[in-house]
Amino acid sequence: MAYSRGNSHSDILSGFGQGLPLDQEDLVDENTILVQRTLRSGQSIRYNGNVVVLGDVNPGAEISAAGNVIVMGALRGVVHAGAGGDEKAVVLAFKLQPTQLRISNHITRPPDNETPDADHPEMARIRDGVVTIEVFQTGLNDRAGVGK
Amino acid sequence: MGEVFVITSGKGGVGKTTTTANIGTGLASAGKKVVLVDADIGLRNLDVVLGLENRIVFDIVDVTSGNCRLRQALIKDKRLEGLHLLPAAQTKDKTAVSPDQMRTLCTELKKEFDYVVIDCPAGIEQGFRNAIAGADKAIVVTTPEVSAVRDADRIIGLLEAAELRDPKLIINRIRPKMVRQGDMMSIEDIIDILAVDLIGVIPEDEMIVITTNRGEPVVLDQHSRSGQAYRNINRRILGEEVPMMSMEEDGFFKKLRKIIGLN
Ligand SMILES: Nc1ncnc2c1ncn2[C@@H]1O[C@H](COP(=O)(O)OP(=O)(O)OP(=O)(O)O)[C@@H](O)[C@H]1O
Ligand SMILES: [Mg+2]
Repeated sequence: MAYSRGNSHSDILSGFGQGLPLDQEDLVDENTILVQRTLRSGQSIRYNGNVVVLGDVNPGAEISAAGNVIVMGALRGVVHAGAGGDEKAVVLAFKLQPTQLRISNHITRPPDNETPDADHPEMARIRDGVVTIEVFQTGLNDRAGVGK
Repeated sequence: MGEVFVITSGKGGVGKTTTTANIGTGLASAGKKVVLVDADIGLRNLDVVLGLENRIVFDIVDVTSGNCRLRQALIKDKRLEGLHLLPAAQTKDKTAVSPDQMRTLCTELKKEFDYVVIDCPAGIEQGFRNAIAGADKAIVVTTPEVSAVRDADRIIGLLEAAELRDPKLIINRIRPKMVRQGDMMSIEDIIDILAVDLIGVIPEDEMIVITTNRGEPVVLDQHSRSGQAYRNINRRILGEEVPMMSMEEDGFFKKLRKIIGLN
């Protein structure tokens, strides 16, 4: 089934202040690997923790992580966060255009009619049992103690 | 000491052999000593594209297995003084040469030639691994199709794993009109995914088919658009700065000729 992109920006941004705040400190913990290259077609990463990619994940590449997946580039391949069943896992990318996106045991893909041209970071997570894409606000600038 | 280029793609039929023949011929007509190595063992056709098929006596497998000396297997081109071909074997398969033998062969050839250009077989199996084993640099050929770009991406990953970094990209068979209409991937779309340096764009051109059948690489044809595109690539290989043609405008080749002062 296709995932849905969140409503309007302002709506989502204000959404962060409301019901479901995301603790950004929890995005990556000590059980995190850093992949310092682009994953090209045919390459894959499987990790029992969080995965951070400093590059793109191209079509035909795959990432599977027990925890969160963060891509500091374009995510166009197949991604699975919370692969061990963690429903709180998120997928975050500067350009979120996955071939297929899985969180825990939810399998989704972009709507067929959508040609996403995301030019801002977006985040996928499960909300009310449905995988939802939201604009991601880093808030890094006004946060003390980043990079602890 | 010469340089070894491998021309590779992943997907079959995208223009590796055509590119090998045109780069080799172009560099040789610029006065360089060039040898083309057909590493597509079992599906020999570089000799046909160069019109040299009837001169083959020994082939690459004869050389690596010690049946003849390297010099005996090298065929001189009929047009260009500095151009030579080491043909593939037609009757053997891709396991007939090993990566180590290929490395030794390339080391030998580099001593004598300015450029060694290797025509790689399609695929990612043994034939590919042999062809890249002795290479210093790689040129990846793709067409503006999703499947070809996907395979080029896979190949670039495998080249990186084999320590062949920063490959150059050739986009072949582009049709400006289709790109404009949004029916074909654009150069920007392709670079966005592959993130490597573009060294040239070859338009779809029936002159390629005509010249290939004549055994006379299109780069020697002064009037064709594809010949011009290959000449630009060769000048870039030789270290010249040649502006990349813009696919946006009609008649961009005309404009290009003006820029580089031809015609
Ligand atoms: N720019 C072009 N315009 C028109 N035809 C082309 C162009 N480039 C290549 N061709 C044609 O496409 C066919 C395949 O080209 P070529 O043999 O060079 O590909 P290849 O990558 O070496 O194939 P293989 O994987 O089988 O070795 C040939 O018939 C060639 O003439
Ligand atoms: Mg070929």
